[in-house]
Amino acid sequence: MNRKTLFVLLTLFTLLFGGTISAQEVTTVTWWTEDYVDIDALNALLVEPFNAANPSIKLEVIPQTSLDEAVRTAFAAGSAPDILQTPGASFIGEFVDAGLVYPLSSAAAELGWQEKLLPWAYESGILNGELYSIPLTFESMILMYNKTLFEENGWTAPTTFEELQAIAEAAQAQGINPFGYGNSGFQPANEHVVGVYLNNYAGAENVYAALTGEKSWTDPEFAEAIELLRGHMADVNWFNDSLETWFAYGWNEQWTALSTRESAMMIIGTWGFRGADEFFGETTDEWDWAPIPPFSSNLPEYNYMLATGSTLSVNGQSANPEAAIAVLDFLYSDPARVLQIASGYNYGEFVVPLKFAAEDFPEGTDERIARFYADFGAVTAEGRVGYTTWTFWPADADVQLWQEIENVWYGEMTVETYLANHQAVWDEARADGAVPPIPTR
Amino acid sequence: MAESVLIPKSNSQPVKVKQGQSFWPTLGRWSFILPLLIINLIIVIIPSVFGLLLAFTDWSGYGPINFIGLDNFSKLFQDAIFFKSLSNNLIWTALFLTVPIAVGLLGAYMLSGIKRGQILFRVIFFLPYVFASVVNTQIWRQILHPRVGIGPILADYGIPFLDFPIFGTRETALFAVAFVDGWHFWGFLVILYLAAMTAVDAELYEVARLDGASRFQQFRFVTLPSIRPTLVFTILMITIWSSLVFDYVFIMTGGGPANSSEVMGTYLYQNAFQRFDVGYAASVGVMMSLWVMLAVAGFVYLRRRGWDI
Repeated sequence: MNRKTLFVLLTLFTLLFGGTISAQEVTTVTWWTEDYVDIDALNALLVEPFNAANPSIKLEVIPQTSLDEAVRTAFAAGSAPDILQTPGASFIGEFVDAGLVYPLSSAAAELGWQEKLLPWAYESGILNGELYSIPLTFESMILMYNKTLFEENGWTAPTTFEELQAIAEAAQAQGINPFGYGNSGFQPANEHVVGVYLNNYAGAENVYAALTGEKSWTDPEFAEAIELLRGHMADVNWFNDSLETWFAYGWNEQWTALSTRESAMMIIGTWGFRGADEFFGETTDEWDWAPIPPFSSNLPEYNYMLATGSTLSVNGQSANPEAAIAVLDFLYSDPARVLQIASGYNYGEFVVPLKFAAEDFPEGTDERIARFYADFGAVTAEGRVGYTTWTFWPADADVQLWQEIENVWYGEMTVETYLANHQAVWDEARADGAVPPIPTR
Repeated sequence: MAESVLIPKSNSQPVKVKQGQSFWPTLGRWSFILPLLIINLIIVIIPSVFGLLLAFTDWSGYGPINFIGLDNFSKLFQDAIFFKSLSNNLIWTALFLTVPIAVGLLGAYMLSGIKRGQILFRVIFFLPYVFASVVNTQIWRQILHPRVGIGPILADYGIPFLDFPIFGTRETALFAVAFVDGWHFWGFLVILYLAAMTAVDAELYEVARLDGASRFQQFRFVTLPSIRPTLVFTILMITIWSSLVFDYVFIMTGGGPANSSEVMGTYLYQNAFQRFDVGYAASVGVMMSLWVMLAVAGFVYLRRRGWDI
């Protein structure tokens, strides 16, 4: 071998294997997220700063249409992302049972996540004593209303059911629907109102007792709550102008209705902040929100229903769990960054349940939104919390709850049968150990 | 007398090959279709067998698979929503075997009679078929929207029959979705029937005209018998596709309100991806497959009875 050949071979070796060696030093972490995210903003606010701070890790966030199905299909194919995003804590149990989720308790203890996160949010990810998921965003149900319409009519945000009823009747007398909402394009929207009626009529204490198996869903207070909802939905048409319109209205219709005074109020989750400015921006009216009042005189105070909108976990099959944990820690260790990302969604998404301080909110944050987060913190700190179905119900019970309620609304199924079926699904889930963690009350 | 075996031939008539004939030429012929057989095995047969086996399990989609015998089928036969789905599939089939076929035949027959502009009409009729279902559904969702669609507009002119949430009403939801799906589908039938009609011998029409046959009689006694293989083929395919209907229902109503437009496809999806009960979903899938097998068996039976289809 002459020197020239040796030189060429050495050069080739350096190019080939030198490149490979340096490439192997960088660990890629994949995270699939919902397709509605502003990926450019997320790259700028999270991905690029993380990659700059961690040269040995390359984070890739990829939006996916129908995320949950994409993740499930990828698991079946053995190519799921390193960071798992699920629609809620109810969804993680199946993955845990299949051994597909990396346990996070030791990492959480080492990195102090329990101190950084709101206690209920941290506990919602614990299954059988082990931490498997952490909420990506937290939510609650609120009452949004057309503030301008309220002011013109001398109405104030209701604090009791009687006040709510008076406004609803006054609105209907003017040809305005009390509430605008619907499930077109998203049938599980049914559970938003079912959950509110269960918590706000039967009471969160009773819901908690049923969740923990101390009460039955067939008990009278739950039956009365569902009957109240059925009456509002089918008899007096509080929601839009007919039951049929419930099935025809979706996100755009319900917001258009509220902002154009077709309806006066809307029972919705805090993800609604995302749509408020957009739709009211096209009118001269203003929006505001209020806590949903108790629907029963037995309940003296309002509370906030707890909900995790999406959860993050580490794929149990991931080759790089430590790198994935580093990504999670980067997110959970910087409240200001989280709020900066969330501000892009008007604080309706990406609100990681961290213990925010007032100074963490960017300057110029909408007063109405800051008011919500301040009140949510204060009220939930007093233990005044309710429970959302998509966070604290087993998946099967959740589906039964939002699916069969339509038969109740149409009078094809009695309230008693509906709740008996619900209890039966719960019994099955409890026997299978599929009940999500319920934070101690 | 030497024994004989049957091997398939391209025209589906069996060919007798005497045993003792050289093995290698036979193997050589089989080797030509071996790649296709392997692909078929991997992407059709193995998943089908796996899907069939899953119907006897309680698999959630992940984790251990436990065989539970016929429990899923026992549950299925007591499941009111499944029977509602099945009956909706039957209604769907009846609708698609009548309306689009009738409109398709009419459209094709009318088009066959024109010389100028036929291509343009073919393209126009066929266009909805090539659009994605998401596009078609969004178009019709807006057209039939209860606030901004044609319903309220017509109502302003004293024609109120469409002024209600057509997709949100139990009595109309399934028919409304079927209408949209049929709207996108009938152009496809027009093209098929038109191609078949073009091949009909023009002398048959000439003889019929000389015998004093009207346009309808020409259609009834010349066109229809001549295109029977195509007609029966489309009937078979519509029967099969009607058991598999999913996308239009899923996008437009999700099977609601209150399961009024639920079909087996959406019910399968719901069990597999919302309830995480893949075993039960597979049992729904088995019932869908049975439907298809029955349709194909009927087709084969008619052929054996000598029908030219």
